[in-house]
Parts: sequence; C-alpha cells; structure tokens
Amino acid sequence: MSAMDPTEVFRQEASELFEVLEGALLDLGQRPDDRELVDSAFRALHTIKGSGAMFGFDKVASFTHEFETAFDRVRKGEIKPTQELISVALAAKDYIRALIEDPQSTDDIIGEAILDDLKRFVSADRSDAPVVEIAEAPSLAPAGSKQAGWHLYLEFESHILRNGSNPLDLLEDLCKLGPCFVVPVTDGVPFLDEMEPEDCYLKWDVKLHAACDKDAIDDVFMFVQDELKLTLSPLEHVEAPAPAPLFQLLDEEPIAEAAAPMAEAVAEQPAARAEPQSEPKPEIKREAAPARREDAKQERGIATVRVQAERLDELMDRVGELVIAQARLTQLAASGSDLSIKMIAEEIERLASSLRDTTMGARMVPIGSLFGRFRRLVHDLSRDLSKPVEFVTSGEDTELDKTMIECLADPLVHLIRNAIDHGIEDNATRAANGKTEQGRIELAAVHSGAQVLVTVKDNGGGLNTARIRAKAEEQGLIAAGAVLTDHEIHQFLFHPGFSTAQTISALSGRGVGMDVVKRTIENMRGSIDLSTKPGQGTTVTLRLPLTLAIIEGLLIRVGEGRYIIPLSAVEECVELTAEDERSRGRNFLNVRGNLVPFLRLREIMSSSGSPDKHQKTIIISTGETRVGLVADQIIGNHQTVIKSLSKLHSDVTIFSGATILGDGTAALILDVAQLVSLAQSKFEKQHINEAA
Amino acid sequence: MNGSLASEHQSGAMQVVMIGLGEEKFALDAGLVREIIDPVPVTKVAGARAFVPSVINVRGNVIPLADLRIRFGMPQLDDSADTRIVVIELDLDGEPVLVGLTADKVYEVTEIAQTDVQQTPRVGMHWKPEFIRFIAKWREEFVIVPNMERILN
Repeated sequence: MSAMDPTEVFRQEASELFEVLEGALLDLGQRPDDRELVDSAFRALHTIKGSGAMFGFDKVASFTHEFETAFDRVRKGEIKPTQELISVALAAKDYIRALIEDPQSTDDIIGEAILDDLKRFVSADRSDAPVVEIAEAPSLAPAGSKQAGWHLYLEFESHILRNGSNPLDLLEDLCKLGPCFVVPVTDGVPFLDEMEPEDCYLKWDVKLHAACDKDAIDDVFMFVQDELKLTLSPLEHVEAPAPAPLFQLLDEEPIAEAAAPMAEAVAEQPAARAEPQSEPKPEIKREAAPARREDAKQERGIATVRVQAERLDELMDRVGELVIAQARLTQLAASGSDLSIKMIAEEIERLASSLRDTTMGARMVPIGSLFGRFRRLVHDLSRDLSKPVEFVTSGEDTELDKTMIECLADPLVHLIRNAIDHGIEDNATRAANGKTEQGRIELAAVHSGAQVLVTVKDNGGGLNTARIRAKAEEQGLIAAGAVLTDHEIHQFLFHPGFSTAQTISALSGRGVGMDVVKRTIENMRGSIDLSTKPGQGTTVTLRLPLTLAIIEGLLIRVGEGRYIIPLSAVEECVELTAEDERSRGRNFLNVRGNLVPFLRLREIMSSSGSPDKHQKTIIISTGETRVGLVADQIIGNHQTVIKSLSKLHSDVTIFSGATILGDGTAALILDVAQLVSLAQSKFEKQHINEAA
Repeated sequence: MNGSLASEHQSGAMQVVMIGLGEEKFALDAGLVREIIDPVPVTKVAGARAFVPSVINVRGNVIPLADLRIRFGMPQLDDSADTRIVVIELDLDGEPVLVGLTADKVYEVTEIAQTDVQQTPRVGMHWKPEFIRFIAKWREEFVIVPNMERILN
C-alpha cells in the first residue's frame, strides 16, 4: 500500500468538482430558473474552497471565496444567471483550475480582472433589485430586536476528534452567523475510569439569534455531515441575549427559559417564515432542502471506492495470465483421461471467464464523463464563431474501457470543432437554405455487438465532394479525371496535411487533425465511417472495440507460425480457388463479382516449407476497404489477451501485439490497418504498372 | 535500473554471470540478470531486426529474445543440452525492458576484480568497440563485459 499524496487526492477531487461546476453552469445557461443547478454549482464551489484551504491552497481558497460571495447573490435569487454572467463564471472556474493544477502559470492580475468582471455583473444587477437587500448580512441586524433564529441540538459521533474535526471550531463558525447562546450538554460524559481520552462526549444545545438561511447553517457543518446528528428547529421571539457571561454557559436555567419561546416559535412559524424574503422563495427553499438530503442518501447507498488506475491495470494483467494458465490446464486435461482433473479444469475455466468479465467490468466507465467536457467546447466555439449551436448528447451511460475513454477525448475535440467550424454554415447561409438559425450537433454513443459506435452528427452543409476532389488533384494525390467513388474521395480528408479550407482560422484549416483522428482511432483498433448529405449535414461514426485488453481473435497458421487476426475485422473466410492461384502475378481475387486484393502471408512472414494444398483466404476489412489474407490453415476462435511488443520490436509494423496460446507459446497479432494499406499500395502499384 | 555500477562492490569487485557464446566468454553484470531459464519455444517476428529475431513467453510476459552472437558475428549453433536463456532487465530510453538472451552455456556467478580490468584494445578486434564496456581477465582467460544498452539499441 502506498500512501497517496494528500494534495494529489485534492487535485483529483477538485477535478471532479470542476466537472460538476461546469456542467451546472452550462445547464444554467439553458435553464436559468433551475434552483437545483444553482445549488449544485454552489456546493461544488464551497467544497473546493473548503478543501482548498485544508490542503494549503490558500490562493484557491481566497479566490473561490470571492467567487462564492458574488455567486451567492445568484443563489439567493437576487440576480438572474445571464449568459454573460455564466461566461464570466466559467472563466473564473478555469482560473481556479489553473491555480490548482499549475499555480506558476497563473497571474494574479488575470484573477483580479475576472473577479472585477464578476463583481460588475453582480453589482450592476444589484441596483435593479434593491428590494431584497434586507436578506443580506443578518449580523448587521440591530441586536436586541425580535428576530428569527434557530434552535440547534448538536450530537457528534464520539470519534469525531480522531478525524481531526474540532467541534469548538464549528461552534465558532456558527457564532459568526449571528449571536449564539451555547449550552454544552454533559449527560453523556462517563466516569473518569471509563473515559476514552480521544472521544467526544459533549453535546451542544445552541440558540442562534440570526435570520440566516438553513443552508448557511448546513454549510457550517458541511464537512461533518456524516458524523453529526443535527436537530434544527426555528426559533421565534426570543430576546437576543446580552453577550453571555461565562458562568451562564454552565447554568441550567436558560434551557428551561428557552422551552417556552420554543413552543411559541412552533406555533407562529408559518407567518414568520416568509418575513424577510420575497413571497415564493421559502416555498422553493423548503422543497429543495429535503431533495438534497435525499440525494445524499442515494449517494451513500451506492458505495463506491476510488481505485488507482494502475491497480486495475495490474489486476487485468494477472487475470490475463490466469486465463492463459487456465487454457493450458484445459488443454492438458483434455489430453489425459483423468475425469476428476477434467472436472476441475472445467470449473476453473468457468471461474476464470467470470473473473475476466468482472475485471473488465471494473474498468468500464460511462462515456458520459467524456461527453460533459465537450459542452464547454461547443459553448465557447459557438460564441466565438457566433454560430448558435444546440448540443445534444445521447447514450451517456454507454460503457467503455477507461483507457479508451481517455484516448477518445482528442479525436472527438477535432471532430466537434470541424463540425462547428466547417460543418455548420453561417447564419446567412442557413437562412438562405431555409434552415433554423440554430445549428445542431449530436454526439451519441451506442453499443453494437462487441463494438461501441460513437457518432458526431451535424446538420450543416455536408462535405463538398467536388472541392475535396479538386484539392486532391491539386496536391497530386490523384490523377485528374480518375474514376473514384465519393467514399474514396472522402478518404482524402484523413490524409496528413490535407485541408480544403480557404482560410486558416484559429480553429482549423491547417490540415492537421483528421489524420490524427484516424491514427488515434486505428491505434485503438477502431475504424471511422463518414457519411454526408449535401445541404443536410455530415455524420462521422467511430467504431470502437469494447476493450483494449482482451479481444476475440481468429487463430490461423502460416507455415510453422501461428497468428491472430482480430475477429472484429474478419468479414468471411473463403478457399483460394485454383483459378485465383493461377493469376499469380495479379494478386486479387474475385469475391462474388468484386475484385479484392490479397496478400500471401507466407511471403510476408517468409515461411519455410511448402504451402498447404488448400490455401484459405480470410477477408478482412477496415471501413469499406476489403483485403484478403492467404494462410495455410484456419485453426479457430481464440480469446486473445493482448500483450504489447517491446521497444525492440517497435520497428515492426505489421504486428500490433502478441498473445500467449494454450500451449504456452507466444503468437503475434496481425495489425489489420497496416496490412490493408500494404495490400492497397501493392494493388495500386499494379494498377499503375498495368496502365503504363 | 542503470546497472552499470549497481553490483560493483566497494572493493572494486563486480558480480557477474559468466556465459559462453561460441568460443568466447561474456560476463554479464549480475545486477541486470533477472533469471536463467531452459530454452522455450520461440516465435519468429517477421520483419524484425536480425539481432532480435523472435519473442518468447516468460511467465505470461511476451519478451523479445536477442541473439548476441549475431551482433558479434559468431556462427549460430543449434540448441544443445547446455543452451539457456538469460533474462535481463535493461533501461532503454527510460523504460525498463525485459530481454531474453540466448547463451550457449551458463558457467557461474562470480566476481571480477577491478584490478583485472583491461583497456579495450583499439586495434586487433573485429567487434565494434562500442558494444564492449571492457575486457577483464578471469582465470587466465579474457572475458568480454558487453555494453547491453548499446548492443540492443
């Protein structure tokens, strides 16, 4: 067990809180009246402030404090969360994030500028709504007047002190809300010989004479919620105490005195509740508070454990080894005649496969965590380009291996940027084509067999096939007048350095991007499909395997060597006919009327010995390109635990990794994308030779 | 794991694993050596560089199997009863990498004294000098202490 660096824990926690905060702020842009959103943003802010201070991020704490103060007026419903205000709030959030992640790079001046902006928004609105001023600053209320208050009964768990919380500090915080009358309740204190010096036996009875929100009290105890039984009831018509002399704290009388006003308070409660604030507000307040408690309860119900990613990787490795060892055992048991060993082998096979599924499940993360990040991107881009865009996501709960989720972030950023910058037309064009002013981008994820499809769909102008073609000819990628399908032409978009944008903008047009997308997706053993309808939009579909660690493979034999082809890439297996054999120099075969180029794996692997009499062809595909691989024998399906090849073999491109077979030997996994492009280039060369 | 000085004692002695390749003896820094195993079935990697022609399975890891004989221009002998695979851990570009080495024979773990270290002669050698850390004298024989990082890069 390695102890984690506490600041690292804070950073991790903070990054989750930022996601919550950002999500809430963006949602607030669409639904400015949703109190829940304001509350959740505020909670996130408050927690960042609190734990920031706890871990010594003082700058973070003080900045967040200012931010919180400004935002508090939104929470109180005094000002509306306008788009401008949300933009500033997002900037402030980014600044806090920078403060935490890379304090050196931040500049105090920027922070102050953001705060000024925030305050300007907040105070500008203040003049519009001066009526609600009273609700602020309860401590300023003249002492001695009759005012609303709260009666609190605090019962801490006995172990509270061991967690480093100090009830007295909390009581002090409470006193800052207004004059407090605190009476310790000592009936829980045991005899000296039974006393645990580290336990807390005292309970407190507190009368708080301040017209503060219940939330303000909750905030004080935010970090000890789980260790505290807090009974809270409103208080009415109590004389504000003169600053209590010390002896009075020990006096029993005030409790009895308090009982009568308490009863009164309960009776008069409905009338008094509405006192300082505008009419509908207490209603909302009361509704919101129990909902929040409900939430907290639910969260506790589903227990989660934070586990370091490396540990999951290690676990996956061990499971991989177990699966391999189990395959060997099964093979051994099958060759023997001992029934009891066979039974055990079967039992272990069953256990190993369910353990494998469980472990893979533990690595799965809903893709929604990734989608959330793009809302900000779309928000900013649509503002910068002044193209109003509606961003719709679906399938957030689709699960993917966590490493894949991380790898997906960059490609999706590129695709979404492209969709907004190139896909969605400007306002004038949209109006001319009779489209709604607001563009629409859909980001969706869905399971499809052993694959996950992630689609980015826009309702913009679609791809300009003619322009792509002209550009490809200009760059000498194709001969002028060559016959190409639209699909083939669109593939040029993935060519490095290819861009049809007439001007280079800050966002795109440099021609890097799509090739990166393609490479990243292919590295994940995925593929990209592009479909477009002129005037109606473009859909980019990423097909991804569920996991990077284990795949279904097709085991084949070439000469002496055995190889794995990822099953997801295999279309069909056909026998190489005598006719195909005869066309030696040409290397493509006829599959139901389509010409498919093929590669002889024996040549690529430089296998020795004579080939089997009946050669088999495995047709593999990436996207719409199909290629045949000729092998000696197809052995069958194989659960493939993927092991990467070491650095010493990084120059070998036709293999994407290795695995271990049932008999303990290593077998190499063919890199489908590489083989396809190899076959394509051979095929094209042949074409050129024939044409010449 | 740099290993270059890891197992050199204060006295100047260096712990080594003595292996035989063809007619020559090589002394591998014992700090690099993880284990010594019997030959296992190898898997050829088409298109790989000649001195790392294959991969093997060592306890569930697929690791490259290097052949030093090719780097030192020696004939490859068929596996015999004495053939072993020495698994070493190297630091290549900041990443620890496990590599198997084929040895025609493994002699013993022993010490080479600092005083026995000889300068690598500039002439009269048909091996690339960068592959050799130094040459030492051991029981009236000259043994080569190879520079594994260089050989495998």
